[in-house]
Amino acid sequence: MKKNFFAVLTASLMFFSTQAFAEVDGKKALEFVKNVTTQGIEQIINANVPQAEKDKRFAKLFNEALDLDFIGQFVLGRNWRTATPQQRKDFIAVYRELNISTWSKRFDEFKGKDFIFNGTSPSNSKGQIFVNSTVPMDQGEPAKVVWRVREKNGQFKIVDIIIENVSLAITARNEYTAFIKNNPGGVDALIANLKSKI
Amino acid sequence: MSIHKFTKLSMIVLSTVVIASCASTSHTAEDHSAENVDRFETYNRAMFKFNYEVDKYVIRPVAEGYRAITNQFIRNRVNSALDNLKEPVWAGNYVLQAEPEKGAKSLARFAINSTLGLAGTFDVAQGWGLEKEKTSFNETFAKWCIPSGPYIVLPIVGPSTPRAATSLALGFVFDPVYWATINDANIHDKVAWGYAALDGIATRESALELLDDLERNSVDFYTTMRSAYMQNQSKLKCFCDDNSQTNTYDFDFGIEEEDEAFDMMEDEQ
Repeated sequence: MKKNFFAVLTASLMFFSTQAFAEVDGKKALEFVKNVTTQGIEQIINANVPQAEKDKRFAKLFNEALDLDFIGQFVLGRNWRTATPQQRKDFIAVYRELNISTWSKRFDEFKGKDFIFNGTSPSNSKGQIFVNSTVPMDQGEPAKVVWRVREKNGQFKIVDIIIENVSLAITARNEYTAFIKNNPGGVDALIANLKSKI
Repeated sequence: MSIHKFTKLSMIVLSTVVIASCASTSHTAEDHSAENVDRFETYNRAMFKFNYEVDKYVIRPVAEGYRAITNQFIRNRVNSALDNLKEPVWAGNYVLQAEPEKGAKSLARFAINSTLGLAGTFDVAQGWGLEKEKTSFNETFAKWCIPSGPYIVLPIVGPSTPRAATSLALGFVFDPVYWATINDANIHDKVAWGYAALDGIATRESALELLDDLERNSVDFYTTMRSAYMQNQSKLKCFCDDNSQTNTYDFDFGIEEEDEAFDMMEDEQ
């Protein structure tokens, strides 16, 4: 009897855990990324509006599409744990602003181009999936762009962009960890340095 | 220095580095990303700084000058001709990677483009459905599951690993340009050095904007370059994992639930 009880318990636990790791709807995730890139290209890059309006639209799109709180926490690595609440807040704010200005410039390069989507790949992380795409370049072969998407409360957010095998999150994390290690000023020095780049 | 001496010398230096790196025990990454290990950081940073200065005062100005005196059409012809000369080496490597069809395609491209494509300046073969596909000894070695080894910054060449550096040297001596002039010592050196220089300048020219963008947004350019380079190296496929559908971009963020700091921030917004 007892044996049966445990068998049922194990089985139900397994059932629930597979439920918890239920796959993210690939089609929906792909649609989400497609929508973000189309919006970016049609309503921002190709739109006939002043630059100030373009910047405003881009910031809005970027904030809605990317989970910069999540990425920011990851890129600070183990320094996140030791940072004060104020430092965390300041870092996320400056990281957000820097990314908006960087990517709005980078996105301009995609003028007149279209992303070609090639399905999705699964992730071992809960509620995450990879959306594969390529984008034609002016010279040479098309660039491979992979979007890592995370679903939270039914909402999709981009948590990493991998261009030609290089992950935005991993690169920033390595860079910021090295900077903090080599700078007596630590996280505050990093925040100041990032501010100077905006 | 003659090109023969130079290649011999670089082989000796490289084998020393390979042996040295094999002798030291493997490190475990303090960070969970394997790309973040840097065994020779002190030397690497010094060489990076040296290369940066050489680039700033010599290579970059030459690349910019090359851009100034040519237009995109001419540069496309030059890049196409340079790539064409590499097709035989690509073909050989495809054979070594057990991809004879791709090897045959590269050879066919070389034959077509060298003749009808006017010494490779035009990619006629592409119009016939034979797409250009690049490869290297480095990819072959990776296919054979030879590890890349530690990150090493080479003089002038820049980011590398023992595997990539060996591959670079091999690619150089198997190049048709190297063989075409081997019997004439007088022009052999000049042609080989000139070819290497032209190849380097053409590569630098096409990377002008990319590197500027990376540097502008970086707080530690050395680490950015190392991280990006090693991420690329780690994504090269090996025969052993060819069949598994592992997603190489998948790493654990290590964040279960977001910090409560975010909720506080959101409340304030």
